[in-house]
Parts: sequence; C-alpha cells; structure tokens
Amino acid sequence: MSWVSPGESARIVKVLDAVEPRAKGDGAGGVFPGFLSPARPVGLGTTHVLRGAAVVAAGYLPRAQESVVEMSGEAAQLSPLGSTHNLVVEFEPSSDASWEDVDTALRRGLLKLAVRLAEAALEADPTAVEELPAAPAQAQDDRPRVAAITNLQTQGTFKDVFVYGSSMAGSLPTLIDPNELEDGAVVSGQYGHPGLKNPTYIHQNHPVAAALRASEEAELGGVIICPEPVDQAQKELVSALAARLCKTCGFDAAIVTKEGGGNADADIALKVDALEEIGIPAVGLFAEMAGREGTAPPLVAPPTKATAMVSTGNYDEELELGEVERALGGERIDLRDVDAHEAMEIPHAAIYCALNPLGWGRLTCEDAT
Amino acid sequence: MGAPRIVRTRGIPFPTGDPSLDSEEEREWRRQLIDKALEALSTSVSGPTVFDPAGEAQPA
Amino acid sequence: MRIVHYINQYFAGVGGEEEAGRGPELREEAVGPGKRLQSLIGDEHEIVATVFCGDDYAAGTAEAAEEILSLTDDHDPELVVAGPAFTSGRYGVACSAVVAAAHERGLKAIASMHEDNPGLQDAGAAPVIESGESARRMKGTIERLAAAVQKLAAGEHLGEEDGRISRPRRVNVLADAPAAARAVELVLARLGGDTERTELRPPDFDQVTPAGPVEDLSEASVALVTEGGLVPAGNPDGLESSRATLWLRYSLEGRDSLPEGEFESVDGGFSTEAANEDPDRMVPLDVARELEQEGAIGRLHPEYLVTTGNGTAVASAKHFGVEWAVELHKAEVQAAILTAPGSPPSS
Repeated sequence: MSWVSPGESARIVKVLDAVEPRAKGDGAGGVFPGFLSPARPVGLGTTHVLRGAAVVAAGYLPRAQESVVEMSGEAAQLSPLGSTHNLVVEFEPSSDASWEDVDTALRRGLLKLAVRLAEAALEADPTAVEELPAAPAQAQDDRPRVAAITNLQTQGTFKDVFVYGSSMAGSLPTLIDPNELEDGAVVSGQYGHPGLKNPTYIHQNHPVAAALRASEEAELGGVIICPEPVDQAQKELVSALAARLCKTCGFDAAIVTKEGGGNADADIALKVDALEEIGIPAVGLFAEMAGREGTAPPLVAPPTKATAMVSTGNYDEELELGEVERALGGERIDLRDVDAHEAMEIPHAAIYCALNPLGWGRLTCEDAT
Repeated sequence: MGAPRIVRTRGIPFPTGDPSLDSEEEREWRRQLIDKALEALSTSVSGPTVFDPAGEAQPA
Repeated sequence: MRIVHYINQYFAGVGGEEEAGRGPELREEAVGPGKRLQSLIGDEHEIVATVFCGDDYAAGTAEAAEEILSLTDDHDPELVVAGPAFTSGRYGVACSAVVAAAHERGLKAIASMHEDNPGLQDAGAAPVIESGESARRMKGTIERLAAAVQKLAAGEHLGEEDGRISRPRRVNVLADAPAAARAVELVLARLGGDTERTELRPPDFDQVTPAGPVEDLSEASVALVTEGGLVPAGNPDGLESSRATLWLRYSLEGRDSLPEGEFESVDGGFSTEAANEDPDRMVPLDVARELEQEGAIGRLHPEYLVTTGNGTAVASAKHFGVEWAVELHKAEVQAAILTAPGSPPSS
C-alpha cells in the first residue's frame, strides 16, 4: 500500500475500483451492507466521511481495460482521483487462486480498508456537517420531482455491480432512497471502459442525486437503479418498467445515466425513449464516440424519441500526458506498450472516469469553429 | 442501424447459439438461424428488414 | 493556386470494373471532370496534375493515399481536390483518404460526394461538398465544387450554405459545471417546454441501398464474417478487445466446426464465456459446412473475417466494411453472413 497525493509528479495505472472511506458511529448500523454488514436497509443515522481521501485498487485483472489517473498536469482534473489523497493497494494473487476469488477478496479488502481509515477519524471533530433528508414520498412544494435513473453494468464477473452484496443482474428496476447510496448500498465490480466507469466512490457521491439536491428549482424524487441486461427483450422490459415506475411514483421528469459503452448506449436510449413515450420528459447523459478527429457520428445507438442529451465528451480524442517521477499499479501501460513513467498520447477513453456516465466530470464536446 | 437484412437472435454473447438449450437443440436452433439468414439473402428488400427465425419478415 | 485533382479509373476514361485493381498514375493536365472544373475556377488557379487510381486498389490498400500524394511531390500542389465520387463507396472512401492525408500534410483539401457515401466520415477535418447521386448530376455538382474550391483557395470558411455535408469536428472542452448539474439545467429547460436544447444531436444514420437478392444460393460462394472478436486461442495477432483499429482473417480450411480451446473471443463488451465454450456460437461454421455439403450453398469462403465491434468508432467500422467488401468482391463471394454480438432492433 502507498499514498499518492494531488500535485505529485505521479501516475496510477491499471486502476480498478476506488472507495471513499466511510464509517458509522456507535449503534448506527454499518456501511457496505451485504459485504461488511448485514444486508439490511441502510441510509439512516450518522455517516462519517473522510472527505478528500480514496482507497484505490490497482493491478492486473482479466477483462479489465487499461486505465490511468494523473496526479498532476492538465489531465489530473479529468478524474475524481486526481484531487484526492489516494491509498493505492497493489496486490499479487496467490498462484493457486482463481481470478474470481482474487476479485472477491480484493473487493472485500478494499472496502474493509476504507472503513478502517474512516474509523480512525471517528473521534475527530467534523470539518463540516451535512443533513441529507430522505427523498419525500410526495411533492413538498411546486417544484418538479425528478428521478435519477441509474443503469448498473451487469455483464458477469469483472463487469458486474453489486447492490446489498448481490449482483444486480436479473433484477428489475428498483426504487431506492438516495441515502442508501451514501452508506455503500451500491458497490462496483466493473473494470471495463475506464473512461466510462462508475466506481464505488462515485456511487457513494452520486452526482445526479447531489445536483438535484442542490437545485432550487427541482426536487430529487428518488433513485431508480436498473440492470443493463445482455438480452434485448430484457433490455426492453427493464426500460418500460423503469418508465412505468416513474409514472407510478408521480415523478415529473427523469435524468438517465449508464455505465460502459456500446450495449449500455442501447439501454439508455431505450429508457429515455420509453419515458418520453409515456409523457415523462427525460434527459440522458451520453459519451460521444466520434473518432480521434471528432469527425465521425458520435453515437452508435441514439434515442429516436428523446432529444435532450448531455455530452460527457469524445471518448476517442487523444491527449498528451507528460513524463512522471512515480508510477503506481504497474510497470507498463499495455495500451501503448510503454514504461508507465513515460510521456505518451492516450485517448480520453483510458483516463479513469474522464467521461463519467454518472455526470461527475466537466468534460464535454463542442463543434470546432 | 441501416443494415438491410437482419436476423433476430437471442442474446448478445452468443449470436448463433443459446447456451440454455442442450447441445442437440442448440445445433437445431443454429441451423434454423442460418436457414433464415439464407432466406433473407434470397429475398428482395427495400430497406432495413428484420427476419424473425420464428416468424415473418418485417420492417426494422 | 496549384491544384492536384484526384479521380478514379472510370472517370479518367481508362476502364471500368476490370481496371479496378490498377495502381495510381499521374497526368500533367486536367482530365475528365477536371476539364470542366478548370474552366470554372478561372485563370488564377491551375490544375497542374491529375492522379487517377483503380477503386479496389485505392480503397483496399492501406498506404494508397500516401502513394497517390507522393506522385504529386514534384508538382508542388497547394490544394487537393478529390471527386466527385457521387454514391460510389470505394471511390468515396479513396477521395476521403486522399483529402484527409493532404490536410495532414498541411495542404488545403476538399472532396465532393453524395451524403450517403460511406466515405463521408473519413475525410477528417477536410471539408466535403455535396454532389448529386450519380454522374447524371455532374453539371450542378461541378459548379458547386468550383465555387467551394475558389472560397477555400481564398482562405474562407466553408459552411452548409456552400453545400458542406461533412459534420463539424467535435472537440473536447471543459464546461463550467459538471455534467450532472448541466443535466438538471437541461431537464428544467425541457420541463419549461424547450424541446430544442441539447448538447448533442443524434447522427443521421446511413441509408444503405440493399444489394439485390442472391439468385441461386446453390451456386453462390458465401462468407462468414464477425464483429465478435473471435480469434485463434492466445490472440496471436493482437486484435483489440475494444476500439478496434484492425481486422483479421483466419482460415477455415479443413475444419467442420470451431472447437473449444482453439478459438476464443477477445471482445471486451460482453461475457465471452458462452462463445469460448463453443466458438460456433459466434461463427456458425458447423452449420455452414453442413449447408455446403447438402448443396444449399455453392461454396463456403475458405476464411472468415473478424474485428471487434465493441466501442469501435463508426468511421473505423465503415472503413473495415469497405475493405471487407473489396476483399470479398475480389474473391467472387456473392453473400456474407455477419454475426454481431449486439442488440437487435426491437420489433
């Protein structure tokens, strides 16, 4: 384990998951239900957050794609980990362990470590205190109630997301209280598409829920989590049910997010279309896949009815990374087959969370003049 | 997506299979799919058309 | 300005499909449609050379665009014009490759083709001006191209009013607010009745003109092709798991099926367990052989073509499509079955 901090001439490569250190005070239950505490509803009482820190796993896992975090330079602002103090966990699997077991152990270890760190600060006075009321069952005033529909990647080992400790695969859309996310009800086990990843850290700080809470003109109605099924009929069913759930709850509009690329685009497009079809205005967050030059069509599966889209940037555009003194997570960057310390040109797709589908980042696209 | 002749299959990870079937049934399913593909190739279409292995062709 | 004009073998008058494999050649004068173009752009600008090349060669050879431009080195071109390619796919791809390469070299460059031409997306940052569908629209097409060439030579910007059909380039920038906060603004605007506002407009997908039906499959050569990343075990040629930049071909000769352990899928977009357990689930060789033996198809093409569809840029995918078409056309294949691990459209 080693620490790396913002501003250092350093780079983390082969980044897997990242977790924000959080713990519960005495008698308030646990965090990460289903992993470190019983799988029972969370989101009540006091949660202690070690803001500005992250526990990060980095190293080789099968099906994981090359991902990079820069701790200094322009690219540092493209990843949430570029501005946190990171405890980086590197690992070496036992020779007789299966990769599935390595993945499971790594996740449990990472979560435990995050809790241990937060617990170390339980006695300290908090720098800030935030009160997060539960999402109201009915409209509180005349502001529109907006749902955050959150698609979770569900494509098997190394591409799976866990809810209360179990894979979301096979589930139907589920309404949860946004405060359940605060206590780690959603944990990532998804290592594909680094630029389009939603790590545990970002689920703990759900950007759409936070932005709706911060809005004076809209109210956060609730969070609806959905799987991204591999089967087309299931995709259509999940999308139609998510739209109907919004209707049943009386939500006025929805913001829909995804995780991953390609198939995940079909899921988000089907959902915004299903919502618009039953009269609920919907906005989707999309990443563009416009080619290196930015001249290709940006979407492979665009919606046909919904029109309001946020762009989280062009996945294929390349950017320059400078040489760094320190590299963590691995010796080489396989994507470019270079030493991990070297200067290189790399697509935004490889920068951890650069085009974050949950809306964390500021990256977007404009037409060139 | 603009492809003129499309045969509908059962799941992303296995376009010409279905692991839920036993091996003989799966082989028959694959044969049905490819027979349908050959039928599609021999059919005149004017725009994207979906050929359902269990049904009739219809516009995409 | 000193202009070089690129056209194909057909418009150069050296032959049709039988000359499609011919390499590039240079003439020190305006040729074919270039003659009319020259008469319209006046005395200030001169077509100092015309390069022509066979469509199969130009669209199917990786370095063709560089080869075409290097022929013109002694003629010091300042501006490169390509086409009009109308709806001809291989010609359009070649025109785009030539102007994209010229633009990279720092030359002014412009192409002309129809908006349905699959080459349209490959022109990079060089402008593409709309042409008619076929040479029957040559007159109006050349007039519009000539006007655009004059504007480009004068250093002026070309827009929709000039018939520009290539999309403006998208560039990454940092917005003032995070995407989630912008989504809230957008949803509020949408609730307020604004249905126009968006950060991204969906692309118009190509209208592909379907090929006619195969008349007699029992006489036809049929190919198996896939975007499911299926390669020999160990991935000897390094096919990417996503964002593919290449495609590969592997022999099917002497095989009646694709056994577990000898082939694997490297596609990073889905669980490859099912495909690895039985690779015929991705490339249906067992059934295709059966159909060949029964005589339902004349012949199975002896190799399959493969790339990875996951996250692959549309421009790359189109390019692979044109190269596959050239490849299969040369091998006299009449039909292809493409297996795609993607979502079929809803009914």
